Amino acid sequence: MFEIKGFIETSLIDWDGMITAVIFLPRCNLACPMCHNYGLVKNPEKYESAPFEKIECYLKANRDFIDGVVVTGGEPTIYKHLPELCKKLKDLGMLVKLDTNGTMPDIIEKLYSEGLIDYVAMDVKTSLEQDKYDLVCGIEGVDLDGIKRTIDFLLHSGIDYEFRTTVVPTIMELGDVVKAASCIAGAKKYVIQQFKPENAWDKRLKGVRPYFAKELLGAAEECRKYVGTVAVRGI
Amino acid sequence: MIRMKDTGFRGKEGLAQQKTKEDATDMTLFVRTSGEEILEWDKKRIYDALTRETDISDDAASIIAREVEKMVLNLEISNITAPLLRELTNAKLIEYGLENIRRQHTRLGVPIYDAREIIVSHNKENANVPHGPEATNLTLAENIKKEYALMEVFSPEVADAHMRGDIHLHDLGMVDRPYCSGQSIEYVKKFGLNLPNALSIARPAKHPEVLIEHVVKFSAALQGHFAGAIGWDAFNTFLAPYLVGLDERRVKQLAQILVYEFAQQAVARGGQSIFSDLNLYWECPKHFENVEAIGPGGQYTGKTYADYMPEARGFLNALVDVYMEGDAQGRPFFFPKPNVHITDKFFKEEGSEEFLLHLSRLAADKGNTYFVFDRGDTAKISECCRLAFQLRPSDLEDAKQPWKMRYSAMQNVTINLPRVAYDAGGDESKLFETIYDRIELAAKAHLQKKKFISHLLGLGKRGPLSLLAMETDGEPYYRLHRASFLLGMLGLNEMVQSHTGEEMHESEDAYMFGLKTIAFMRKATVDMEDIYGIHMPLEQTPAESTAYRMAKLDMKYYPMQSSAVMKGNRATGEIYYTNSTYMNVSAPISAIERVKKDGKFHPLIEAGALSHIWLGESKPPAESIANFVKKTFRHTQNAQIAFSPEFTSCLVCGRTYRGLKDVCENCASAVLPGVTPIKNKER
Repeated sequence: MFEIKGFIETSLIDWDGMITAVIFLPRCNLACPMCHNYGLVKNPEKYESAPFEKIECYLKANRDFIDGVVVTGGEPTIYKHLPELCKKLKDLGMLVKLDTNGTMPDIIEKLYSEGLIDYVAMDVKTSLEQDKYDLVCGIEGVDLDGIKRTIDFLLHSGIDYEFRTTVVPTIMELGDVVKAASCIAGAKKYVIQQFKPENAWDKRLKGVRPYFAKELLGAAEECRKYVGTVAVRGI
Repeated sequence: MIRMKDTGFRGKEGLAQQKTKEDATDMTLFVRTSGEEILEWDKKRIYDALTRETDISDDAASIIAREVEKMVLNLEISNITAPLLRELTNAKLIEYGLENIRRQHTRLGVPIYDAREIIVSHNKENANVPHGPEATNLTLAENIKKEYALMEVFSPEVADAHMRGDIHLHDLGMVDRPYCSGQSIEYVKKFGLNLPNALSIARPAKHPEVLIEHVVKFSAALQGHFAGAIGWDAFNTFLAPYLVGLDERRVKQLAQILVYEFAQQAVARGGQSIFSDLNLYWECPKHFENVEAIGPGGQYTGKTYADYMPEARGFLNALVDVYMEGDAQGRPFFFPKPNVHITDKFFKEEGSEEFLLHLSRLAADKGNTYFVFDRGDTAKISECCRLAFQLRPSDLEDAKQPWKMRYSAMQNVTINLPRVAYDAGGDESKLFETIYDRIELAAKAHLQKKKFISHLLGLGKRGPLSLLAMETDGEPYYRLHRASFLLGMLGLNEMVQSHTGEEMHESEDAYMFGLKTIAFMRKATVDMEDIYGIHMPLEQTPAESTAYRMAKLDMKYYPMQSSAVMKGNRATGEIYYTNSTYMNVSAPISAIERVKKDGKFHPLIEAGALSHIWLGESKPPAESIANFVKKTFRHTQNAQIAFSPEFTSCLVCGRTYRGLKDVCENCASAVLPGVTPIKNKER
């Protein structure tokens, strides 16, 4: 199986309305320059593994508070054993939220059909144009078809979800956020996230000034043409 | 000034000469008195002072006066200050073995260096005090009153224990006032603003803004008579009858008047904000449901408070909006603190879910909200001296006259727990014995303070506490028989660490030992109630300055033992013990475990306990905060929680933002972190 490379015991910010614990899985199929968990992607061996037994013990002891567990990374869907982990969490009575970049639609569909996930937060990194997407994801040839399939699945399967975009000046513009929203037209929820330069993987982004709150709020207003609920996080 | 001529002869004759002023040019020593006069030397004044102020015999007084004169005339000086003369007299008293007389004759005051520092430099001890002439007046006065308290109000045994740091007597600089108070605006509604020594008296308010002004002024008057917090019970419930028929805009403005008037009181005398609490309810508290409501003009309206729920809720919502906006620069208001009571009834009330979200949004954004949990049939009617109200039939009877609901804590004494562990040296029975002894000492300190305040109250209208002695409703405003006497604790975590080798978060055993200690303290205070007849509830001592003072004293007297458990930075001298019963602030435990584990202490700590949940930069959605609040209410024994967010203030334009920012959106300057709300009471 795979190793869990990080565990947050309590989070009030990873699933709106829920009190959650967060599990981090290492490695990713992308290399986004603004990634703030890049250590898990680049050098997972440097991180101590968290034994599942310990996590299980904590979740059991605090079931009265914790509604669910957020599985994040890295990119959790690159593991074919992911359903086993989600199953264990469901068996503990936990709701499960998956954070994903949406490049692996098959496993997401499988998780949902087996009742192993309750919520998906999918990154729509930027407007769905190959060159722009490659730039923001830091690799050549991102599988846009896979991403579109996942978007389509989330829009139509009945599962609860949100799409989100972290707005990074220099590698994208506010206009790309609105274009991204247009690619998920009809979605229930879209979240625009503020960029935190100090934690970015690509050190060149450290000096970049994030957009002001009012600029993000302006973009959010435009996105409402496509999506019912648009929120801005981290301002 | 003419130099005093050396007569070359300092025998009896010389003195006689001087006394009869036969040769005034020979005797030109002048005394600069504290009465802003310069008087010619006269040793009789020494004699007079000694016989007036002390128990000295006439003969001894004459001898001392003569001896002091001899000494002074030997000096090549032309003038001398009265304080120096007094100290020279004191030196003589010691020489003659009259130590007791010296104590009575001693002088209080500050060296000129200290006075200069206080007047010119900023007060570092209390962050709530701005620097200004009024503030430095307060500091100077407090210095003298502190000395006075230790010499005259408290026994040497108690005073020495305070100075050694075994215990801490809070607010000694305000020894002539009780500690804190909680009351009802019903008093102001019913009697108007009718205070002793006032130049004008106001009849009961007819309009809401006038009532609010009365309450704020009365709070300011009370601030002058109490050392700590001024709390108001069920504020929105009682304000409601004045709000009938007002539109939303007007109600919002009233809420704004209230908050700004309280928040900006630092411009008043003493330069201090009023440490004010507003207790707020979404529902009509059960014990006020059938109480006849008092409305404009102090008249009964013919309805009960349950009939005014729409107005009470409208005001509460508006108040939350005002806190949410913050001040002109977006900064949170520190005072008045909104304590919103969450009860079983709360969740059954219409609109409570939505209101809880509103409150939670405020908690996440500005951090103001204090969620106070009243489970079962208890109601905490006063946040500072938090007396639990058990709603017995007699209490319900009391609640029918809410203006009578005036409560106070007379004093707060804190036990330095780590030192107990050092003194016990690992011997558990000695540890508990020592705690018991220190609690008994605290009880004695309480009795001494009680005696002193009773004396001042007994002076009635002409005494310094005439406001507290006024009998507008047939009994004194200050209800001595309902006063409680707080017992605080400092550094439970370090005590446990010193005794068991582990901090409370490090093992279940260590945590249990902490619980056992507080349960023991609780039991001991009940003993004190039996022995000394004073209600002595435990309180979480909040004052950081106490934590620093005791840490510093322990580093001096117990360097070996205290170094092993001391928190903070020893190199910079920024050392402290962990507050009250808290676990190490940097312990790697989740917020859930913290509220649960803190919460197990809370039922033992009758007079006030609180858990902070550190949000830092993160701003959770209101729904998640509300979820956490509900679960804390339902699944823990925690008495109160508050969320602490982080802010950034622009150093150029002053605009304040939630979270950490590098650049100001208002003026585009680089900003630096400025504000983090001060959640702990600094007393």
